[in-house]
Amino acid sequence: MNEYRIMIAEDDFTIQAQLKTLLSGNGYEVSAVADFSNVIGQVKSFLPHLILLDIKLPGNSGFDICSQIRTFSDMPIIFVTSSNTDMDELNSIMLGGDAFITKPYNTAILLAKIAALLRRAYNLRQAEVLTWNRAALHLESSSLEYNRQKASLTKNELKILYYLFKNAGKICTRNDIVDFLWDSQLYIDDNALSVNMTRIRGKLEAIGLTGFIKTKHRQGYTL
Amino acid sequence: MSGKLFLKNQLPVILVNLSGMLSLVLFLTANGNPASVRLLVVVVWIAVIILYFTILYFTEKRHLCKLLEMAEQLEEKYLLPEVMEIPERADEDVFYRILKMAEKSMLEKIGGVQRERKEYKEYIEQWIHEVKTPITAMKLLCENNNFPFAREMLAELENVNRFTEQALYYARSEHTEKDYLIREIRLGDVVHSAIADNKYLLRKNNVVIVADNVNHSVYTDDKWVRFILNQIISNAVKYRTEKPVFRFFTAKGNGQILLSAEDNGMGISENDLPRIFEKGFTGQNGRMIQSSTGIGLYLCKRLCDKLGIGLTAYSEGKGTTITLSFHINDFVSEVQG
Repeated sequence: MNEYRIMIAEDDFTIQAQLKTLLSGNGYEVSAVADFSNVIGQVKSFLPHLILLDIKLPGNSGFDICSQIRTFSDMPIIFVTSSNTDMDELNSIMLGGDAFITKPYNTAILLAKIAALLRRAYNLRQAEVLTWNRAALHLESSSLEYNRQKASLTKNELKILYYLFKNAGKICTRNDIVDFLWDSQLYIDDNALSVNMTRIRGKLEAIGLTGFIKTKHRQGYTL
Repeated sequence: MSGKLFLKNQLPVILVNLSGMLSLVLFLTANGNPASVRLLVVVVWIAVIILYFTILYFTEKRHLCKLLEMAEQLEEKYLLPEVMEIPERADEDVFYRILKMAEKSMLEKIGGVQRERKEYKEYIEQWIHEVKTPITAMKLLCENNNFPFAREMLAELENVNRFTEQALYYARSEHTEKDYLIREIRLGDVVHSAIADNKYLLRKNNVVIVADNVNHSVYTDDKWVRFILNQIISNAVKYRTEKPVFRFFTAKGNGQILLSAEDNGMGISENDLPRIFEKGFTGQNGRMIQSSTGIGLYLCKRLCDKLGIGLTAYSEGKGTTITLSFHINDFVSEVQG
């Protein structure tokens, strides 16, 4: 998907391993700092596009590492910490940190923040059109195109289709879809999801896409 | 200073004088002095004594009243020896030394208690930061691995996190001024992050959330407001009824921006309503639900008072609306341009 490299400086091994799983599952190349006596050396050899930095680390603190990185790189730095005092937050801003996230973090928010920072720092443009089986989902104009016919979508419908397109070929459970919508600040419940699905299918049929979204009984939906 | 007690204390002096007077009168009688001379001597003697006692009484009284007044004005009474004049009389000097001793032991005790308190508070804060690491690890484990009861676990972890935050903010609520970062925040962002903090809890209980109409900005510290909203959400979940609906909305008026959280839960009875922000108050609803502690809203009120945010609750039969009111500070926006 996107070959961005992310470095994790986190001394708790469980969190380190799980973050690795999470980020590589989202298409990033991940490396974790193994030796905290020489973080800078590892940063220089891995050359990440972004670094997740804990403040409390064995050896040099995250603040020291941040100011050292700033001497040679402008890469986005996200401070991840369990201490949420304003002093720490202020320090992280002053030393050139780009974001300050407190533990325990919401993974959806963490991923969104990473994507946003990468997009801003490297002028990455979000893929505006997703395609599957000759149907194209236009994010910008919030519409679905098939055979030169367009169906316009509401915010909810667009997000649901976006999730299905992103996971095309896989089964998406109703729970996962609702979770994704909640993470996108659209608070719909199970009933509302059914209503939206029916409406989407109606719109798809109107432009000649019948049976595009398949229902897997008791499991969910799939494209 | 009571005059009666003063005279009683001077009784030995009076007795000595009386016996002296008696012996002198007897001596003068034996020497054949006329009655007029004896009377004169007695009258003069008594006059001198009365004058002496009067002057003594009033000077003593003034001196002691001053001392008493000084003690009353002092906030820390035990510091009296620091401000009073060093007495010159032998007995007062002893009392002064006793006061000094009492002061010293008091100061030592207070210093010890304060140090212990500070250490305990620091320990609590440190403990909370430490416990957040395993909470984060568990959360990541649950989110990365889709096992059957992962969602239940995540909802419970949200509770664990909220309780830890409650302890942290309780410890901090004494000295909010040390932990303050006022900036312009969009209320929508805070509401959304508070909902995200309780996502699994809300989903588990099938709560319908309506938060379309939250769009004002205020100047405040976002993490405190987020904490307060978390407590309000958890209360709304705790006292829900069937088909719970939570509604968040903002409004502007009267030089204030109002953020309201409305639920359709069991509501608060008229008798309980004025007391819900008291510490340890659980009321009628609390008696029905075991997990009421009477800490959450008390803490919210305390933090709101420190931050200058108004906090009110409204309930009529069914459902509750909690409203946070923020002052619109023109000065801040002017300075920022």
